[in-house]
Amino acid sequence: MHEMGIACSILEAIQRELLPYPEKRAVKVAVRVGEMAGVDAESLRFCLEAITKNSESGPLELEIEICRSDELELAYLEIDDAERQVTA
Amino acid sequence: MTRVAIEKRVLSENDAEAAVIRQRLRREGTLCLNLIGSPGAGKTALLERTLERLSSENAVAVLTGDIQTDCDARRLMRYGHPVRQITTAGACHLDARMVARHLEGWPGHLDLLLIENVGNLVCPTSYDLGEDAKVVLLSVTEGEQKPLKYPGIFKKADLMILTKTDLLPYVSFDLERVRTNARLIHPAIEIIETSATTGAGLDEWIGWLAARAAGKQAQAEREVEHAGR
Repeated sequence: MHEMGIACSILEAIQRELLPYPEKRAVKVAVRVGEMAGVDAESLRFCLEAITKNSESGPLELEIEICRSDELELAYLEIDDAERQVTA
Repeated sequence: MTRVAIEKRVLSENDAEAAVIRQRLRREGTLCLNLIGSPGAGKTALLERTLERLSSENAVAVLTGDIQTDCDARRLMRYGHPVRQITTAGACHLDARMVARHLEGWPGHLDLLLIENVGNLVCPTSYDLGEDAKVVLLSVTEGEQKPLKYPGIFKKADLMILTKTDLLPYVSFDLERVRTNARLIHPAIEIIETSATTGAGLDEWIGWLAARAAGKQAQAEREVEHAGR
């Protein structure tokens, strides 16, 4: 029921993680969702898609790992570093 | 592509805010309980009977959360203790930031802060409010399978309060079954049976509160003494 709030928290967390990488864009985020976390994985996917698809930052791939616990954790973030490849 | 490991809780911002509240309440020796239950489980009715029984010598305050209206705050204010309404305007749970905002400028020392969450057995479970314990309320009209259907809150709550026990003769609710189901999810959960209508079980609940509040106060005093050395 509160997956939209969770999706917004994920976006805020991504923005914080991106602070050391200005000009870069997140392309993928991996989240661990515990079976007892009270969060529906598909609903979370739908909400995150809804708030990212028309945003300036562009689409964001979501990987969900279901685990046995009540945790709800951000595992990792993939950042588009095309710029770095051009300059290399 | 660069992969950055994060390994943080999604709600870490909420957790940080909750930690600030917890630290403040710990310093002041205020016991804080987060009351969670379905809409209509009897959270406000239990609070009314609780406030009625606590004399004005007890410094008690209530934060009550609802999606809309201040009906509950107005009900609870009649007992002479400070009450503030949190209106979430759509959100299905309280978060630590809402609690922190509503605690600003609260008058003086509190022995007990009771937070009535938005009626919901799912979402409030995820948000730490800085409380000492979550208390889950389950009314006998809701059915004894609830601990199995909503395991998250029954796992996290220290105490389950069964409400509306005066209705037991009229509904098919198996008390033994609900105890078994709750302990299957959380073996150490404490259980108190109450009726806000007849007053049954309220002495036990007030006793539970008093014991917890005394423990919290003693801990705060020990810490002050320790810091003073």
